[in-house]
Amino acid sequence: MPITAIDPDNLPTQKVEEWKFTNLPRAIPANLNRDGDAGEHVIHIKRGEIRDNPVEINFKGVDNAYQVDHIIITLEEGAQATIIERHEGQGAYWKNHTTKIEIGKNAHLKHIRLQNDTHDAVNTNIVHMTIDQNATYDSFNLNMGGKLSRHEIHAEIAGKGAEASFNGANLLQGSQHGDTTIVIEHQAPNCQSNQFYRTLLDDKARGVFQGKVHVHQEAQKTDGYQLSNALLLSPDAEMDTKPELEIYADDVKCSHGATTGQLDEEPLFYLRQRGLSEAQARLLLIQAFIYEAVDKVSNESLREEILSITTTWLENALKA
Amino acid sequence: MIKIKDLKANVETDDGAVDILKGITLDIPDGEVHAIMGPNGSGKSTLSYVLAGQEDYDVTGGSATLDGEDLLEMSPEERAAAGLFLAFQYPVEIPGVNMSTFLKTSINSIRKQRGEKELDALGMLKLIKTKCAELGIRDDMMKRAVNVGFSGGEKKRNEVLQMAMLEPKFCVLDETDSGLDIDALKVVADGVNALRDPKRSFLIITHYQRLLDYIKPDVVHVLAKGRIIKTGGPELALELEKKGYSEFVEEAA
Repeated sequence: MPITAIDPDNLPTQKVEEWKFTNLPRAIPANLNRDGDAGEHVIHIKRGEIRDNPVEINFKGVDNAYQVDHIIITLEEGAQATIIERHEGQGAYWKNHTTKIEIGKNAHLKHIRLQNDTHDAVNTNIVHMTIDQNATYDSFNLNMGGKLSRHEIHAEIAGKGAEASFNGANLLQGSQHGDTTIVIEHQAPNCQSNQFYRTLLDDKARGVFQGKVHVHQEAQKTDGYQLSNALLLSPDAEMDTKPELEIYADDVKCSHGATTGQLDEEPLFYLRQRGLSEAQARLLLIQAFIYEAVDKVSNESLREEILSITTTWLENALKA
Repeated sequence: MIKIKDLKANVETDDGAVDILKGITLDIPDGEVHAIMGPNGSGKSTLSYVLAGQEDYDVTGGSATLDGEDLLEMSPEERAAAGLFLAFQYPVEIPGVNMSTFLKTSINSIRKQRGEKELDALGMLKLIKTKCAELGIRDDMMKRAVNVGFSGGEKKRNEVLQMAMLEPKFCVLDETDSGLDIDALKVVADGVNALRDPKRSFLIITHYQRLLDYIKPDVVHVLAKGRIIKTGGPELALELEKKGYSEFVEEAA
């Protein structure tokens, strides 16, 4: 199935249900240079191959550029790999990416995405993946960059006994807009999917979480879990959440939840009674909120790296 | 020495401000243990929150000083540094913050405010290990998130652990016996008794005489409707237990 990137001449409008919270046409930088070629990144892990070292792909945004990239990741039967995507850049640009992931039987993929584009950039990424029998997909998406970013995932859990985790943290400030849209198709029995997202919004930032779990009739014994928690640090921040379950099988375990709020007073007072200043107590509680998501990263050195990135972000954000 | 004089406080509700503390006067000299007993709604817990600086309550009159320093002028963290420790009735769960990070931050914040040198990692580890051993707390508790998934007994033991580490001058124990079975109660009481010191005073807030079998008070006060209606020795607690609050409050009125 070919995946097409968003058509720059025919941008989705907010009249489209899936795009109702995210105004893409308004965010695209003017005068983009559209002459460049599309890039292609192919990662193919052969049958039974186990890659010990993470495979890294770096995407550098260039001022005024329109950058289309196609990422094609294939793990054959029994293969194992860890892939790290890093997004940075300079100036105003639009990265318009597609990602196609195929995970074969008994294969295991860990996928980390660190999106730290500039605050003038737009990053759109449409991911399509299929996960075969007894395979696992374990992902973490750290979303800190972009004037507007949209990470859209369509996952088909196609073979029985497969497991997929979509975890992430959004840290947004200024007038940033971050959209996470996940659609999971449970097509086979005895599969599991998890979504756990924590979103921190400061200033006038806006977060979007749309997560849908679609359990097909044949997908009995599905275990689906979805949770989005957002913490607003400013009265001008906004979070739009749309958690959805659509279930056609009769023997499943599915739960979903979404919260949006501010810091609780009770733990703040408890910490201050133990001598922490109000600022210290707030930092500790906000860190904890994000750390609970980062804690889902199973690779220890990556987890440490992400913790350090988020801590720096928090210390700067709370200082301002 | 803690001196509370004619302390009044109210809380804002949907129906306007409601007076909870209607003039409490109480002195606790260094080294003494005082107990406050009273029925539900008498203002016991409010007193502990007001002393610790919880912002839901407005102090409308009176004073509270610790060694001559005005507590009511201070932020909650300044009160903690001045030596006030509140053992919470319901210790708060803090997901994502593990015990050792919490204790380190707490101890060093207090030390810094007191003008003492902050403890380095090794000194901290030693202190935590020693105090945990004294209270029979297993090391693995330090890796868990603060109070998350702790049993009632573990939560209260954790409060006593913090009390032991922060070396307060004045400890308020707010219904420390609630949610504890007899065995856990003994452990917690032993922990508190080990902290009794000629320079440290305690205010023990409780419904029941039971806790006072294990932590022997010097003075017992009975609180009803926001006022102390009677003060006496430990025998007062027994009398109260025998008669029940309603009869006792009526007699005193």
